[in-house]
Amino acid sequence: MLTRRDFLQASSVVALAPSVPSLLRRTARAAEGGNNERLLVVVQLSGGNDGINTVVPFADDGYKRHRKELRLPGDRLLPLNDSLALHPSMQGAMDLLEEGRLAIVQGVGYPNPSRSHPVSMATWQSARLDREEHRSYGWIGRGLDAAPNLRPNVAGSVLVGDEPTPLTLRARKTASASLRSIEEMLSFNESGRSLAAATGDTNDLSAFVQRQSLDAYATADLLRSLARPEGQTASSYPSTALAGRLKLIAQLIKADLGSRVYYATQPGYDTHSQQLPRHSRLLRQLAGALKAFVGDLHTAGLGERVLVLCFSEFGRRVAENASIGTDHGTAGPVLLAGSPVQPGVHGQTPALADLAGDEDPEYTVDFRSVYASILERWLGIDSTLALAAEFPQLPLLR
Amino acid sequence: MNVDPDTNWQRWQPTADEPWDLRRVWHLWRRAGFGATWGELQRDLWDGVDASVDRMLTGESRSDGIPDGFDEMADVIGGAAVAARHPERLKAWWLYRMLFSPDPLGERLALMWHNHFATSNAKVDDVVLMHQQNEIFRAHGRSTFDELLPRVVKHPALLVWLDAEANRKDHPNENLARELMELFTLGVGNYSESDIKEAARALTGWTVVNGQFREFSQYHDEGTKTILGHMGNTAGDDLLDILLSHPATARRIAWRICDAFMGEDAVSAVALDELAEGLHNRGLDLGWAIETVLRSRAFFAEANIGNRVLGPIEFTIGAVRALELSDPPPSTFLLAEQVSRLGQAPFYPPNVFGWDGGRTWINARSLVGRGNLAVALVEGRLRSPEHPFDALDLARRHKVPDNLEALCGFFLQLLTGAGADAQFADSIIAVATAEADADDRVARRMVSAILGSPRAQIG
Repeated sequence: MLTRRDFLQASSVVALAPSVPSLLRRTARAAEGGNNERLLVVVQLSGGNDGINTVVPFADDGYKRHRKELRLPGDRLLPLNDSLALHPSMQGAMDLLEEGRLAIVQGVGYPNPSRSHPVSMATWQSARLDREEHRSYGWIGRGLDAAPNLRPNVAGSVLVGDEPTPLTLRARKTASASLRSIEEMLSFNESGRSLAAATGDTNDLSAFVQRQSLDAYATADLLRSLARPEGQTASSYPSTALAGRLKLIAQLIKADLGSRVYYATQPGYDTHSQQLPRHSRLLRQLAGALKAFVGDLHTAGLGERVLVLCFSEFGRRVAENASIGTDHGTAGPVLLAGSPVQPGVHGQTPALADLAGDEDPEYTVDFRSVYASILERWLGIDSTLALAAEFPQLPLLR
Repeated sequence: MNVDPDTNWQRWQPTADEPWDLRRVWHLWRRAGFGATWGELQRDLWDGVDASVDRMLTGESRSDGIPDGFDEMADVIGGAAVAARHPERLKAWWLYRMLFSPDPLGERLALMWHNHFATSNAKVDDVVLMHQQNEIFRAHGRSTFDELLPRVVKHPALLVWLDAEANRKDHPNENLARELMELFTLGVGNYSESDIKEAARALTGWTVVNGQFREFSQYHDEGTKTILGHMGNTAGDDLLDILLSHPATARRIAWRICDAFMGEDAVSAVALDELAEGLHNRGLDLGWAIETVLRSRAFFAEANIGNRVLGPIEFTIGAVRALELSDPPPSTFLLAEQVSRLGQAPFYPPNVFGWDGGRTWINARSLVGRGNLAVALVEGRLRSPEHPFDALDLARRHKVPDNLEALCGFFLQLLTGAGADAQFADSIIAVATAEADADDRVARRMVSAILGSPRAQIG
């Protein structure tokens, strides 16, 4: 795996630089300094994922009773244990689990759940139950505001995609950037790059800009090589929108961009009708993208530094509707992927058997407990600053 | 290096050591305007510093590229953006104003206040309100802070942005009170947490109804509050008066004006105090402070030249104006998209602190992006139809001799304010002539090389 330093040394701009040795040492050292940072990738499953058909409680009588048209065939499920199984389309996630790189948290939600998309999404994004507090900042934004070691001159978080920046990343202080494609990071100014090291000026500000320019073009070179087919690692990504976004995130991480949190969304989970084929496709895309991403980073030697969190604003109703779909529900599973996870199923799976036809499961794990665990045990951030209260931490990480 | 505090804000007069030369003309234009054409630089060099600053202050500095009926055209564009509720068109409207207004200082001040009262449409989500707020910055940006502050703070854009429309006596929200004290007036360290809580109570009852500011007495907390030592049934307007008369506000505004026009480490604490005192004694007269700074020894001192990273908007508008890309001009939509990608999306500051500015503008993505923007500009990709920039023609029109050294010197002066040492000029010429090519292509490559270089990021 080529590193940023290899690129600084090999980069053509360096050959032209009159004072490279000291500049190079400084830049390379700066790059090394950041190399142990732990990164978080958030995948937002927008629309309300049907958790019951994602992590299927096949042994629960309630599943058979409530799900008739939408019951997944038992012989094709991917069993996790004697009562739970993954959706048949989630082979990629199953592979991750077998590699010890997937954790599933069951029954994640919050008290008095809202079934409105914007309200429940804002609840998850802000980590605040009070709707009055839904408009200011997000849990990641507040967390990064409290983070001890953010790199200067780099956005704390990056949204990859063309949506507006989610509330999750909105911070009082920490900047969030967004990136649509790798083209935005590649250099097309061949003549400007040649001058990156040659300004002739020697004051502190000029030296700073010069150093950053050398670094910028080295990063662009590294990204270009990562984007070329021969620069790709063994893990090949499916050709889906989500996989494309995760692949770009992997490229940014490999190029040591320096942001701590990356964010991508996968829309389409609002399956009110004809749910089976659409949900199956979404979960295949999700599992495939996660597997490729985690495998890619592992191959690059970065697997230990990256944790992936997948959440949705709510689960769907246990009872199916008349359109062979499901309506807005309550709690659902959260997925964590990557080498840092404590693999397997966490939390308590809500029982469906005792539910009446119009009831939905109560949450068993407060979503803020999942956030607190990630903030404290992964990002090293005081979770009370981000969540405004203390929540029990879960053993989700190794 | 700090300048002598006793003489900081005195009027600068050229001397043999610090002459009114092209470098200082360029400096004035980059800091107070958005950059000048060659013709404007030459005119101001000839007319002297007093006339040049006079024109900047009175909004008559630009002589090139101002369309007939600019005001009407700008209003049509802004009105259409508002009617369509289209944020990208609103951004393009402001870029249009920055590029073509005869009063670039007015637009810079609007940008300064946008950064001071940093409000983002990401949350406000209302083009009408964002446009109104922007016009407040323009109309009152150089009057007095007493005129400006209440208009901005009691406008729905800011109230929605800071959740103040939800601030009621049974559910006080401290967001506006905190930012009002920390960012808009006093600055951190000049108030206590208790002052914020009490100020939030004073602000209860302010709200927004149908896009209009309203004050409802039934939501106002009528109890006694103690804010910064003032005790009483303080209401929102009383709070603003308390804040406006506080000396810390004058210092914060002095800091903001220096932040907008001065470079790194160019203003000492003593000098800042001096400017703050002047503001305080003159009823927070912004026009006085701006004029004082722009005519000052501190502003034209050697230590304040070339000691500032250009922001994305300054970099972009400066290049477009200097290169006289007016026939046809680049699309203001595409320019707005470019500056947004470079990290300065107008109407979308990153948070309530605004853009950090300075060295934080510079990172791997932004530098590569600026280099790419330079190529897009000279190749004419931001124009419709695409149409390369004729760099050679520009140089010939300004009587630059047809040789590489002269061409290089001209573009360096035009785009960076100063010539180069021989080694840097040689590097540029080497890069521009790396491939055997037609003269116009060599000239274009020279321009994109200079704009992409570290030198062109500083001004």
